[in-house]
Amino acid sequence: MNVTLISPEGSVFEGEADSVVVPAHDGEVGILPRHAPFMTLLGSGKLVVRGGEGVSTFVVEGGFMQVTDDTVRIVTENAREEAA
Amino acid sequence: MVATSKLKKAQDRIGAARPYAEALANVMADLYVPELAERFPLLRQPEGDPKKVALVLITSNRGLCGGFNSNLIKLAKNRVEELEKGGASVELHLVGKKGIGFFRYIGREAAGARQDVGDTPTSEHAADIVGPLMEKFENGEVDAVEVVYASFRSAMSTPPTILPVLPVVPQQVGGAKRDYILEPSGEEIIEAVLPLYVRNAVYRALVETAASEHGARRTAMKSATDNAGDMLDAVRKELNRIRQAKITQEIAEIVGGADALGG
Repeated sequence: MNVTLISPEGSVFEGEADSVVVPAHDGEVGILPRHAPFMTLLGSGKLVVRGGEGVSTFVVEGGFMQVTDDTVRIVTENAREEAA
Repeated sequence: MVATSKLKKAQDRIGAARPYAEALANVMADLYVPELAERFPLLRQPEGDPKKVALVLITSNRGLCGGFNSNLIKLAKNRVEELEKGGASVELHLVGKKGIGFFRYIGREAAGARQDVGDTPTSEHAADIVGPLMEKFENGEVDAVEVVYASFRSAMSTPPTILPVLPVVPQQVGGAKRDYILEPSGEEIIEAVLPLYVRNAVYRALVETAASEHGARRTAMKSATDNAGDMLDAVRKELNRIRQAKITQEIAEIVGGADALGG
């Protein structure tokens, strides 16, 4: 599935992934391919994207996640990549 | 050439901001139903004309960019006059040294003034500018917020534009809404997304104005260079003509003198 992490200043991450774990407003949520359409608010914490290219970790705060048609879109005002 | 490279970077920032804006508009369109308007202060449409308007004017900090700032200021001034004629009170929030200078010059008080934004606006700047206005709007201290900025169509075309920011008017998109699992409820998501939407509208205005400023400056500097070149050509021709006239006269005198001696 396709994952994009978007902040106002631009795309922070874009790529294929096998799983995503996002910090939702009330706890972590894991998304696997072919998830049903889903929308949730985000809290603050770690966003972990696992894919063919390895594992990427980001710190996000606020915003929301939208899952549609095997695409995960994470939209947040604050996002930065954490060194592996 | 400096402006050209800055313009390129500023244009890239506009492009980079697009996915975020689209994502927000997309979600708003998916979740928005007109019945929500009554429940959320940010969506509340005023009855009739707004009475208390906050006008945000974005100008640049630096000059030498042709009519760029004066066009923005003129539009803002006309808008203020128009609103006041309609019986509304207007509070001005100025961003950029040029706008501040103008309104200080005509002796009009501004409710807010800042010149720290400069070439590279960030989403924090936008949040700083519009955050207090959102609060005022929710408390009913103002009933409309508008932004005057230079919309960036191309480097040559940067018309000053009025952007109504509050109340939020979501774009209605046709077609079936997707059936989402919502967590928490759609209303809570809208409530959280609305401020993002408003902040992003202001962020876009800041970014576009910054790019427009560089476009305007490049155009202004190019015509200044061209004009100076034309002037240089004219002066050089005049100089050559005078020098040639002098030489011709000297030759004529020498020839005349030689003739007189030889005669």
